[in-house]
Amino acid sequence: MMPKLYGLLKYSVILLWSAFVVAPFLWALTTSFKTANGVTGGPTYIPWLQYEPSLTGWRSLFGGAGGIDIVKPYLNSIVVTGSASAISLVLGTLAAYGLSRFDYRVGPAKNADVLFFFISQRIMPPIVLAIPFFLMLQFLGLLDSLLGLILVYIALLLPIAVWVMIDFFNNIPRQIDEMAMLDGCTPFGAFFRVILPNSLPGIIVAGLFCIIFGWNDFFFAFTLTFTDAQLLPVAVVALNSSVTPWWSLSASALISVAPLVLIAFLVERFLSRGNLAGAIR
Amino acid sequence: MARITLERVGHRYGHAPYALEPFDMVLEDGRSYALLGPSGCGKTTMLNIISGVVRPSEGRILLDDRDVTVVPISGRNVAQVFQFPVIYQSKSVYENLAFPLRCRRWPIARIKARVAEIADLLDLSGRLGKPAWQLTVDEKQLISLGRGLVRDDVAALLMDEPLTVIDPQMKFQLRRKLKAVSQKARHTVIYVTHDQNEAMTFADEILVMSAGKVVQRGTPQELFERPRTTYVGYFIGSPSMNVFDAEIGAGGVMIGGTPIAPGGALPSGLPTSGLRVGIRPEYASLAQPEDSDTLAATVVGVQDHGSVRIVEVAIGTARARLKLGRDIAPPSAQARIRLRRDKLCLFVDDHLIAAGI
Amino acid sequence: MPLHLENLSLARNGVRYLDRVDATFRRGRLTTVIGRTLAGKTTLLRTLAGLQAPDSGDLKLDGVSIASVPVWKRDVAMVYQQFINYPHLSVLENVAFPLLRRGLKAPEAQLRAEATLAKVGLSGFAARRPSQLSGGQQQRVALARALAREAPILLLDEPLVNLDYKLREQLREEFRGLFAEETKAIVVYTTTEPAEAMMLGDEIVVMHEGRILQVGTPVDVFERPASTAVAEIVNDPPMNILPGAVVDGRIALGSYRLALPAHLSRLAAADYRFGLRATDLHVDPASEIAGSLVFAEISGSETFLHVETAFGPLALQIEGIHDIALGTQVPIGFSTERLFAFAADGALVVAP
Repeated sequence: MMPKLYGLLKYSVILLWSAFVVAPFLWALTTSFKTANGVTGGPTYIPWLQYEPSLTGWRSLFGGAGGIDIVKPYLNSIVVTGSASAISLVLGTLAAYGLSRFDYRVGPAKNADVLFFFISQRIMPPIVLAIPFFLMLQFLGLLDSLLGLILVYIALLLPIAVWVMIDFFNNIPRQIDEMAMLDGCTPFGAFFRVILPNSLPGIIVAGLFCIIFGWNDFFFAFTLTFTDAQLLPVAVVALNSSVTPWWSLSASALISVAPLVLIAFLVERFLSRGNLAGAIR
Repeated sequence: MARITLERVGHRYGHAPYALEPFDMVLEDGRSYALLGPSGCGKTTMLNIISGVVRPSEGRILLDDRDVTVVPISGRNVAQVFQFPVIYQSKSVYENLAFPLRCRRWPIARIKARVAEIADLLDLSGRLGKPAWQLTVDEKQLISLGRGLVRDDVAALLMDEPLTVIDPQMKFQLRRKLKAVSQKARHTVIYVTHDQNEAMTFADEILVMSAGKVVQRGTPQELFERPRTTYVGYFIGSPSMNVFDAEIGAGGVMIGGTPIAPGGALPSGLPTSGLRVGIRPEYASLAQPEDSDTLAATVVGVQDHGSVRIVEVAIGTARARLKLGRDIAPPSAQARIRLRRDKLCLFVDDHLIAAGI
Repeated sequence: MPLHLENLSLARNGVRYLDRVDATFRRGRLTTVIGRTLAGKTTLLRTLAGLQAPDSGDLKLDGVSIASVPVWKRDVAMVYQQFINYPHLSVLENVAFPLLRRGLKAPEAQLRAEATLAKVGLSGFAARRPSQLSGGQQQRVALARALAREAPILLLDEPLVNLDYKLREQLREEFRGLFAEETKAIVVYTTTEPAEAMMLGDEIVVMHEGRILQVGTPVDVFERPASTAVAEIVNDPPMNILPGAVVDGRIALGSYRLALPAHLSRLAAADYRFGLRATDLHVDPASEIAGSLVFAEISGSETFLHVETAFGPLALQIEGIHDIALGTQVPIGFSTERLFAFAADGALVVAP
């Protein structure tokens, strides 16, 4: 009877937690199809029966009355986050491998100091970075441009990639690299043929972090762009007016989170295939 | 300290075959035991059942007369040392050793005395103030060991291959320390290992395990001289026991038609098939001219191990090894072999029937 | 000309791993390098492989310096202590990997990999990942990968040390067969175990603290160890070394006086260190030399008795498994015919 009670408790907790996670989505979904009347009418969830569904919220995202055009900022966000993440991942993986395997001396600085230099950029509050970034982009003529944003995002995401990857590489025995070289690989060959395939789970985790941080950034997107290179989080803000348009905000929230949910599902499937387990002991 | 009784204890994970087949066993208070076997033989499962990490799917466990079958590890009053050091890196050696006692609210003075005693035993006295992270892995494992030993009120001390991380050169010293310590502490100690050297050096009694079963329980000497099965004969000893197919004839036990122990006392009712004879390489030697009942052998190879030579011979279709001291010249192509009849083991269907004929 | 090391030295953080090492390794021979942990064995192999550059000295293969040839061009195969395989590749792919890197066509590489796997007894495991194998099998994969290449230089760094006892015994025997087929390669095998060094090696190199102490055939090194250090390293348990002297035509060991045996009859009166193998000592109830048993160790089929005597600790090796209580007074017998005599500085003077 003990195990039964335990099982009951276990599933109750899981159920409760799932409800806790799913409820906001449900709320956002129903709200996005409501109008002002529907929102003020209390907690209602079943369309047609409890409230009259409307596409007002969704229309306002695509150039509807009093709304915005979300397509361009959306594409901007995808381009900026995607390319900044990809470049950070490539550079970060190479840098982490170098720091994990070779001894560097930059003046008095050694590997650990170089590593700290990377992370130190994330220690400072964003506001401290914003002004120099602004001035630099201004000097380069890259304010309010996608290229400028990509550069800034690389600076922000690279430390994350380096930190995740170096931990991963440190856990792969050095003898594996050596073995590859004994087997006839150049150091680069060893990296690409042996180390990279064995670091796939780490690369995925690092990439995930980069995408999440990049996609969700508001502060730099807000300070370094005006109109042309507006990103999704900034564009969504423009929806707010004297009367909060809950329906539009809900729709935008759903559409913003969609790519992350999609990626989460893909990664989850990959991870649950057991590629992580047993790859490295 | 306590006597540990296992009654019809067996374990299987889900509906898989038994990882440990149901068995009865009593481990006496104050003795040291080794669970010895290759990986996957069930020895770690058995240790985990005793410690309470695993609840057996069948049977009862008693510590003295207390039924602890459903009591988790925290309630069993056992100490455990794992394969890898489990210590508090940030604390000093002293704090690490004192921790289990502090948790039990021992008075400070008593803790001090006890830690000093254990540190002395393990030669850690000079390093009590050092933070644990500064130590080598050997020293860290020594602390793990000390933590297992520091409580004098435990029912049993359980060790799961505690020398795995130790440098081969250090193993000798640590093994020696372990032995001394366990003799002095008079704990009931259960030691899991796949290394027969460790098991035989350390334990009063060894439980040889294979495929979820205890195949023999005995002192190191018993395992060596009277292996209950040919498997034990193979697993214990280096090189392994030689085993020949044998038959019963007019001359008693015979190998390939040659009587090896004429007139020997044989158990009655021996079957006509499945009979085998085992002899340790140490107890087979080159025959002297005056010896009778010797076997003709062809030398296949000689391995020089330094202090001894291992001579591989073919006797009929069977292969055997002799261990010869360096002072004995290795034979050339042909030789005659004598088996010490008091050391012969007679097996039927791979189970020992008689030792010495 | 074979592989020749000239005056190799390597130190890191004040520790000398290699100290003016000169050695020659010949084709078709297996050289075992024996020494304790930190003797410099692993560093020696890594230097041969090109994984570590020496501070000074040179390596020559057939008279041509290879010191500046990078690892990946050196064509050296190596098996590590740890079971090192590529985790993301199957067993077959692991063995084929170096073959493909050296330009073999895929079908040919696969055939050779399969043949080598059969040789090490892993035919049925080609499709598995290394992590699905036992330790012994993983090391067989590593061995197969090294053998399949047919590299001119094959290095094995204590390949059996992390395996359990029975497996070690079994693989050691298999190695004898496998290496007997290596008639063209230079094979260097490091170990801490005298029996392993003796049974596998065509030649033994004894190392200690970065230096080579002695080179010779197994029998040579075992029967005529150049110094007390060698005598300790090539015997397990280490040879007993007893400080003593020759006084008035007799051997003085502590308070004991023993007649000089024939082979020592020409020893001048001086201080010596006498060596006695553990196997040359036995329990002898008639002996007046005795000591207290401090530790008994059982190694497979032998019992090592560690006894504290008036002239220092002694180790005895006796055949079979014996149960003797600690603290027992053990009477010790030996024949003076078996005594080694070393000079006070450790150099061998006379061997029995």
